[in-house]
Amino acid sequence: MSFLKVSGLVKHFDEVVAVDGLDLDVEKGEFFALLGPSASGKTTSFRTICGIETPDAGTIELDGADRTHATVRERGIAMVFQTFALYPHLTIRENLAFPLREQRMDRKDIEIRIGEVAELLKLTHTLERKPGTASGGEQQRIAIGRALIRRPELLLLDEPLTNLDAKLRHDTRAEFKRIHRERGITIVFATPDELEALTMGQRIGVLREGRMVQVGTPDELYEAPDNDYVAGMVGSPQMNLLAATRKGSDTVPSVALPFGEFGGGAWQGALARFPVGEALTFGIRPHEIMPVAASSDFDGPTLEAEVHLTEPLGDVVILDLLAGDARLKMVLPEEQAMAYSVGDRLTCGFDLATTHVFAKETGTAIR
Amino acid sequence: MGGFLPWLMDPKRRGAMLVTPAIVLLFVMNIFPLMWSFGLSFFHYKASSVKPPRFAGLYYYEKVLSDPVVWERFQTTATIVSLSVLTQMVIGFGLALLFAKKFPLRREILMLVLTPMMLSFVAVGVFFKLFYEPTFGVVSYLYRSISGEAMALLATKWGAIAGIVIADAWMWSPFVMLLVLAGLVSVPDYLYEAAEVDRATPWERFKAVTFPYIKGLLLLALLFRTIETFKLFDLVYIITAGGPGASTESIAVYVYRMAFQFFKTSQSSALSYILLFVVIVLTNLYLYFVNRREREA
Repeated sequence: MSFLKVSGLVKHFDEVVAVDGLDLDVEKGEFFALLGPSASGKTTSFRTICGIETPDAGTIELDGADRTHATVRERGIAMVFQTFALYPHLTIRENLAFPLREQRMDRKDIEIRIGEVAELLKLTHTLERKPGTASGGEQQRIAIGRALIRRPELLLLDEPLTNLDAKLRHDTRAEFKRIHRERGITIVFATPDELEALTMGQRIGVLREGRMVQVGTPDELYEAPDNDYVAGMVGSPQMNLLAATRKGSDTVPSVALPFGEFGGGAWQGALARFPVGEALTFGIRPHEIMPVAASSDFDGPTLEAEVHLTEPLGDVVILDLLAGDARLKMVLPEEQAMAYSVGDRLTCGFDLATTHVFAKETGTAIR
Repeated sequence: MGGFLPWLMDPKRRGAMLVTPAIVLLFVMNIFPLMWSFGLSFFHYKASSVKPPRFAGLYYYEKVLSDPVVWERFQTTATIVSLSVLTQMVIGFGLALLFAKKFPLRREILMLVLTPMMLSFVAVGVFFKLFYEPTFGVVSYLYRSISGEAMALLATKWGAIAGIVIADAWMWSPFVMLLVLAGLVSVPDYLYEAAEVDRATPWERFKAVTFPYIKGLLLLALLFRTIETFKLFDLVYIITAGGPGASTESIAVYVYRMAFQFFKTSQSSALSYILLFVVIVLTNLYLYFVNRREREA
């Protein structure tokens, strides 16, 4: 039973279509990540879901009830804005207490709640100050506190980590997971960062130009991307996506790449449906490519390449390879990468089972 | 020959040269008369007589401050100031709330609403005097079409005060509106949205989000209009000339009468300096709040 169900949501501003038929299904108690680059419709989706914007089409259901035309108040969804949107003239205490005003709570109960939230978010020592004097991380925690204090059932987080520095971002990720576990609330989290989505989301929805292109667990998205967009978005460094052509016979298809022709992956059966000569995109993750010594008994597909660039990242090194016209990346542990420097030639091998093939025209995965 | 103009326009003295006429004018027209009248307030002197001034010390200050008529005029002024400023604040605030929203022809209507502010006091005074005129004025005409009788608004004390207050508020409400509007449009939209998500009522939203942004500007509008209305002369003089009786004679009109109808030059100078002192105090208060606002921003 889904808790938040969005179907065919459309929202445009004059000529610009911000959300274009969005479908979203979030289970109760789930931590759902909405992954998409800037201007892919994340913020507009959130604003429409919580009622600030009116949708042009589509429905929004909350806990089984149609809430498409309900007011913001009636929906009662809590949201943390990307800009935090703290009230600059109220103290941090008053900011936190603000959502409780309308609930006609006892002054004492309000104090207890503030104490709880301040404790949870380590804000106790800042309560009497104005938000303007708080650091970026504190401001962000105030914004979260303000959303949590009325114990919402659904919390929308709009790029809550974007305005934080790297260290704080890391700590806050853990914080969110803890809050989610302890409070058991349903959280939908928008982010342009695939790492954030992969580490935090129990499920991830990938958004592109206002549409959901794939929903799945982090593993599903990583192992079996539905299209080249998701393949390029999820995983770091990015999956190598190379232009390829369908070759071989009608029944035994193969894929022609600048450095060779291969057949035999999981995609082989499905590829038979495409005519010979069809333009394809071939995908292989940088982690799946490894150097093959001349003496080894590796019998999989290989490619000859030249090291073009190296990017050391501490314990791993990314090697930029040139193979024919194709440029691809390979990730190696540092000690193994030490053997190679720019200009070296090497033989690399990979396992066809880990490769992906997409139709060039539609971007859809063939499998 | 030919040396003088280039000499004059030498960059070293060009700047000084260009401001000299303005300074001379300011000195002759403002500073000298100011000093002179300040001096006269300590002497027995009548501008209409040939007798030379005689030193009087603080005699006229004492006389003015113990004169019950002066206090009556101060009261009249206070009545006009409080009623007029209150009306301007309420109407200006309402207009600002109205114009903070977007609607068709907003810019054009805004321009029209601002025009009274740009007219001269004399023109506005004459308009309203004609509007209030009992036999052919538009106010009386409208009143007659309902009640069948003519209306002489300016014939009673409170009617005359209302007449002045209406004219002054008509002219200066747009000024209050302009200030408040500047505050209203500086409120970021996302704060309203956050307040909506936090399920605040419209009143709470106004209190917590809107009001803090316009509070300082409201105070400035209040002070500025108080100072200006305190000095109000033209409108009163043209519309009622202080009447009926002396019931709308503001302190500024009283000073004028004292100086140019009764030629009590020393006494009117002394009273003027007392007024100036009040205005300086108010102005400093105003500047204090302007500075504080700048520091906060």
